[in-house]
Amino acid sequence: MPGYEKVNGKVVKADLSRGPVLARRGAMLFYTGQVSFRPAGGGMPGGMSGGMPGMGGLGAIAGMAGRALAGEHVAMMAAEGMGEVHYGFRGSNVTVIELQGELLQVEADRLLCHDANLQSSVVVLGSGGVRQAVRGAVSGQGLATTQISGMGSVAVLSHGGTFALPVGGGQVIGVDPQSYVAAQGNLTIDVGASLGWRDAVGKGSGEAIQLKVSGQGTVYVQASERKL
Amino acid sequence: MARFTKNGTKVLEAHLTGDSIRCLTGSMVAYEGNVAFKKEGMGGGGGFKSAMKRKLTGESLSMMEASGNGVVYLANNATEIEIVELQNETLSVESSALLALERSLRTDVAFAGLRGASSGQGLFTTTVSGQGECAILSDGPMIALEVSPAYPLVVDPDAFIAHRGQLKQSFVTGVSWKSILGQDGGEPYSLRFDGSGVVYIQPAER
Amino acid sequence: MTPTILNPNTLPYNDNVNPYAFCVDLSQPWFMRKGAMIAYYGTANFEALGVTNLASMVAARFSSPLYANDWVVVSGQGKVVIGDRGYDINSYDIDAGNLTIKASNLLGFETGLELKQSIVPGFLTLIGTGKFLASSNGPVMFAEPPVRVDPEALLGWADCPSPSHHYDAGWMQGFLGAMGGMVLGLQSGEERQFDFTGEGTVLLQSSEEPRPDPAIARALESQLYGVDHAGLTRIQSVVQQRLMSQQP
Repeated sequence: MPGYEKVNGKVVKADLSRGPVLARRGAMLFYTGQVSFRPAGGGMPGGMSGGMPGMGGLGAIAGMAGRALAGEHVAMMAAEGMGEVHYGFRGSNVTVIELQGELLQVEADRLLCHDANLQSSVVVLGSGGVRQAVRGAVSGQGLATTQISGMGSVAVLSHGGTFALPVGGGQVIGVDPQSYVAAQGNLTIDVGASLGWRDAVGKGSGEAIQLKVSGQGTVYVQASERKL
Repeated sequence: MARFTKNGTKVLEAHLTGDSIRCLTGSMVAYEGNVAFKKEGMGGGGGFKSAMKRKLTGESLSMMEASGNGVVYLANNATEIEIVELQNETLSVESSALLALERSLRTDVAFAGLRGASSGQGLFTTTVSGQGECAILSDGPMIALEVSPAYPLVVDPDAFIAHRGQLKQSFVTGVSWKSILGQDGGEPYSLRFDGSGVVYIQPAER
Repeated sequence: MTPTILNPNTLPYNDNVNPYAFCVDLSQPWFMRKGAMIAYYGTANFEALGVTNLASMVAARFSSPLYANDWVVVSGQGKVVIGDRGYDINSYDIDAGNLTIKASNLLGFETGLELKQSIVPGFLTLIGTGKFLASSNGPVMFAEPPVRVDPEALLGWADCPSPSHHYDAGWMQGFLGAMGGMVLGLQSGEERQFDFTGEGTVLLQSSEEPRPDPAIARALESQLYGVDHAGLTRIQSVVQQRLMSQQP
């Protein structure tokens, strides 16, 4: 059963009778029906969350608040009830990805919303992840990657929309870190440098960092070097 | 021969089979295969004389060369891409709107006339000529407007992308309608085209 | 080669050229926002509202001194192509009705309509019969009340009463209670919503980053005259907080 209805390139509609939805703060555009919103404990760095998050408790919210202040983590809101919520974020384009048990890695600031029944965890700087390596290179980038798995729908954000590149057969695909949005499946993302890469993607960044994607799955790339 | 195709409307795929193309520096978002990238120096592209002209006029065309065997995915700021095929003719284009071109095409700088003294824009545009394909950028789907002696055309310079044909470009100044004070630094002038040809515009202001 | 080459005879008559551009025929004058024109054929006279021959018509139709500087009246003979930041452009017809729309998204309207300022800052109300053009970041969505809307997603509304503010109690409770009053990330504005009831249509868009509208600041400034010292000090601290939170 398909998850969110894509109303247009920049907006998805979530029918909450399917189950609760977690979305980044600021993403709710409008809603009808009886819907209640509360801060979500899900997405705590280093921790796992599954199923509908509880009230979170003081500690969880405070911890999340601390991180949100530092700009390291994107705070999430849970929506549940009988109604429909429209989500979007600053006119960015939305891509809906259906997960059938595999893993999706997406930069935390690119995640718009996902079904609450999916497992999610956040990997932040200092504990590995793509951004750790590019941190010094490309300033101002998001510093956390969200890993999501299970059966359900995820909506991700991009500037201008994404195109999907299949990865497999021993092939390695080179991707500009500023254009990278998400990776679905059994994919490894290495960070490398190569001669000439700086010229290829060096607009303003001045660094020669590229992402090398290999394995079996799909990588989502946006048609822009702009961060959100 | 390098082949351009589009992946959607905002991504250009350049298929390289042991040859090369020129493309806007920094426009690569992904690639597959064995591809090398090299920034163009003074001697690259339109030749030394053209590069000197650029240096003197301040017109910047920042290009790199992609060569090898594989596929290069090019995009720029999520703007739309149009593939234009030139049949031994010349296309005049805003240099910031030129994404990629085949090696068979030549680029040069052309004097575009005197603009307002305080304009941030140069007085020159890039010309692309010869036989082959190039890809240009448009913020929103590009619109092609015909110019003929019966109907000259006036265009907002911030929406102007390119023109081809036998056209004469002049400036219309003293327009009070152009911009809201403080919102954009746009110059209060517009471009007028007379003659026979086509002008390409984007539905947005640069 | 795409796209199709158009000329004054093949350009659409008062219709979209593509989702992001619109062609206006000057067989009658139009009010147009400055900067909206991207190309035109023929002889188009763009006149500032104070300076035109059509002054008496303008005075009868355009009652918004706050925005008068941002608009011109266009007349003459020919076709004008309109675009706005690559946004979607749509034309709407009002038939003896009214519609309130965000000022920075209104691009033009026929002179059969009358323009007034809405009580809600940043919005204009059009009344009467005629066509108008509005831009949006992404296609416009329509919803019917009852609906709750994030203020930055609101584009306008037709026929139904002006919205009221709604503060989601559950939302606030989770944060304010835990933080002991520290307002955390409230700049998202999600805690404050517009509540629409009644019969009508609400127009919505994805954009949550509104185009800066200098007129809102002017409107707020003019309202400061009624504020006392304590009020001014409080406003100052709110402004400072907003400035800090907006730092990249």
